[in-house]
Amino acid sequence: MARRSQGRTGGRSGRAATRRTVESIKPFIERKIPFYELLDDDGLALIERNADRVLEEIGLDFKDFPSALALFKEAGADVDGERVRFPRGMCREIIRASAPAEYVQHARNPDRSTIIGGKRLVLAPAYGSPFVRDLDSGRRYATLRDFENFVKLAYMSPGLHHSGGTVCEPVDVPVNKRHFDMVYSHIKYSDKPFMGSVTSAERAQDSVDMCKLVFGESFLDQNTVMTSLINVNSPLTFDATMLGAATVYAQHNQATLISPFILAGAMSPVTVAGTVTQVLAEALAGMAYIQLVRPGAPVIFGTFAAAVSMQSGAPTFGTPEPSKIMYLAAALARRLGVPFRSGGGLCGSKIPDAQAAYESANTLQTAALCGVNFMLHAAGWLEGGLSVGYEKFVMDVDQANMLDILLQGIDLSENAQAIDALEEVGPGSHFLGAAHTQANFETAFYRSTIADNNSFEQWEQDGAKTAEVRANEQWKQMLESYVPPALDQGLDEALQAFMHERKSSFEDRDY
Amino acid sequence: MTDENYDDEEIILSELNDEELVQQMHDDLYDGMKEEIEEGTQILLDRDWTAERVLNEALVAGMKIVGIDFRDGILFVPEVLLAANAMKGGMAILEPLLAESGVEPKGKMVIGTVKGDIHDIGKNLVAMMMEGAGFEVIDIGINNSVEDYLAALEEHKPDILGMSALLTTTMPYMKVVIDEMVKRSIRDDYIVLVGGAPLNEEFGQAVGADAYCRDAAQAAQMAPLLLHNRQAARG
Ligand code: B1M
Repeated sequence: MARRSQGRTGGRSGRAATRRTVESIKPFIERKIPFYELLDDDGLALIERNADRVLEEIGLDFKDFPSALALFKEAGADVDGERVRFPRGMCREIIRASAPAEYVQHARNPDRSTIIGGKRLVLAPAYGSPFVRDLDSGRRYATLRDFENFVKLAYMSPGLHHSGGTVCEPVDVPVNKRHFDMVYSHIKYSDKPFMGSVTSAERAQDSVDMCKLVFGESFLDQNTVMTSLINVNSPLTFDATMLGAATVYAQHNQATLISPFILAGAMSPVTVAGTVTQVLAEALAGMAYIQLVRPGAPVIFGTFAAAVSMQSGAPTFGTPEPSKIMYLAAALARRLGVPFRSGGGLCGSKIPDAQAAYESANTLQTAALCGVNFMLHAAGWLEGGLSVGYEKFVMDVDQANMLDILLQGIDLSENAQAIDALEEVGPGSHFLGAAHTQANFETAFYRSTIADNNSFEQWEQDGAKTAEVRANEQWKQMLESYVPPALDQGLDEALQAFMHERKSSFEDRDY
Repeated sequence: MTDENYDDEEIILSELNDEELVQQMHDDLYDGMKEEIEEGTQILLDRDWTAERVLNEALVAGMKIVGIDFRDGILFVPEVLLAANAMKGGMAILEPLLAESGVEPKGKMVIGTVKGDIHDIGKNLVAMMMEGAGFEVIDIGINNSVEDYLAALEEHKPDILGMSALLTTTMPYMKVVIDEMVKRSIRDDYIVLVGGAPLNEEFGQAVGADAYCRDAAQAAQMAPLLLHNRQAARG
């Protein structure tokens, strides 16, 4: 019998202590496997030519936002009313001249500052749901309490590198004041990087002002501390709300995710090639706008594509066509030289059932293989984004942890080659007691936090719990053991004072 | 798909008797054939059918079948759009005659998304289904303020006001609109229907709408009932 090389470990209590894995902070996943490509250079070049044609001949509308029209005109675009047409290659040139290929998004804890772009993958929780769901109380409108809970859960999940933005909509807080509480929660209950408000230019400015308190005004002007979500109103339209918020962030050197958010078939052509052409044209125009506002302000090429059910108009997820769109868009973003956003644990299911699991897994795997750099909606997403689930959240985090290991690629060190082990065991016998196994078993295989692999009898004896029930226990335990990251008391007071002053300077409004 | 048994070349509408023609119009609506519906509508009028009878027996009855098969997932959205468009072709011929004879059209609806909200796919589907159900729909588009809604009510004098919102940040605005209608004592002049994915039954009640509609098919089903009840209540 091979002996453990380290000798005495302190028996039961000593072993228990080492098993309580102390997670080292990983601010992103570093990819060591190739990108999976579905289309060769000729195919991608064809899409690029078609997108250029769309930009030149059809153009995009920039609605109710004259300053964008002026900027484009000055840069050489043809502006006709609100329609902007771009000479061939114009957007690409503007972007290539100044948009960074990758950028640091600083967190208030420097160890958690992340890098977005290149061969890295940053995972963030779901975004935008009006409802939350949990096993005990079902589906209900989200509250600020839920918002805080999801920030805490994301903070406690090493597989999530980013705190996200509107992790759910705190419907119990007046519409025109929610953004203060959301930004504050990200700062207070987490120390991971996060996203700012985009529902108006003013709210974007409030987000920036709160970050000035945290990071200092001059730091903020030269560094990026927020990455915020700007959706295109596809087809081929940018609206004033999004442009207003995007402009504020760009002016302050804060990153924007320019995302055509497409229900293919309703908001874009029904074909993969047609949709990707439109996505590229829209993203190019949006990112070029940001570079005109402030050259060098970080931009991410976003793509969110779902297919529309032709029977009801409802969005559908995890099907092959959106996966193909994601592969193509990722390749196009690499050719352009900017970071790429897509993916997530997307599904249409109302509950964390088999439909949810299949659809989410399809999307996550595609996102990992195609080379997503920033993955919003990585945890909690249900019901096409209408609901975020507590159980689904911890189930997705388990999947997120696995992506890290997949992307780490193949270890070819001497230890990993394991010739010793093969020599030691030889034909027949087994590897469980081999010295190589003893030395490696603890970290050799990913241990799911959700899955149950016990015998039928054992599982039954333990209460025959479904994955959802196990997940329910898990998130509750997590919230119970939550310990907030340290926050300087003076800063906390300054943030609260700022919120109080701003909130009392105008009436509550529900729009 | 071609099927020689269904070669439309062979059918000459004017040679069909009334019953056959109405049956054929139901099929043509189903197939979204606008010109044929216009032709059939004209033939029935020439045979001295009243506009009201053409509307109800040929068009509305035909669209009912379309509605059922849409609800049951047999017909797809693009097909229903074609059918609704064909229906509109027939309606365009009937409308002036209905107005002349003082027959109320089936009903009129003004619909738009509320201020700050640009999500309009759902609203467009509702408009499509309502048109299919024989309603005249005035689509006032996206991002409507109280003033926009009131101006549209004033101008078009509809029976129904439909509001759509997809954002929790915009849906409370429905209450702003309804409250203003109450203030101006015009709330009860209209049936107010609301919809959009982040709403629910409770919310519809809380803002003071007559009904919350979970989807387009339900809106088209509910509207005639509410309209009927209201007309009955008024005697
Ligand atoms: C009689 O009156 C009636 C009766 C019935 C009515 C009715 C009226 N209206 C609807 N119905 C009913 O009948 C319809 C047909 O059966 C149904 O309509 P629906 O509209 O529900 O269904 C449609 C057929 C299909 N569904 C949809 O079209 C909506 C799908 C989702 C994915 C969605 C889309 C597509 C879009 N979006 Co938006 N979007 C989401 C949506 C999530 C979701 N799953 O619903 C939601 C609603 N969006 C959200 C967000 C955050 C946003 N969106 C935004 C933008 C967009 C796009 C422009 C990209 C696009 C809309 C394009 C368009 N032309 O409509 C931004 C806001 C823009 C603005 N100012 O309005 C932005 C703020 C994102 C950003 N950061 O840029 C979230 C809500 C957040 C909140 N606060 O509540 C969201 C839940 C997604 C998410 N998780 O983030 C019924 O509800």
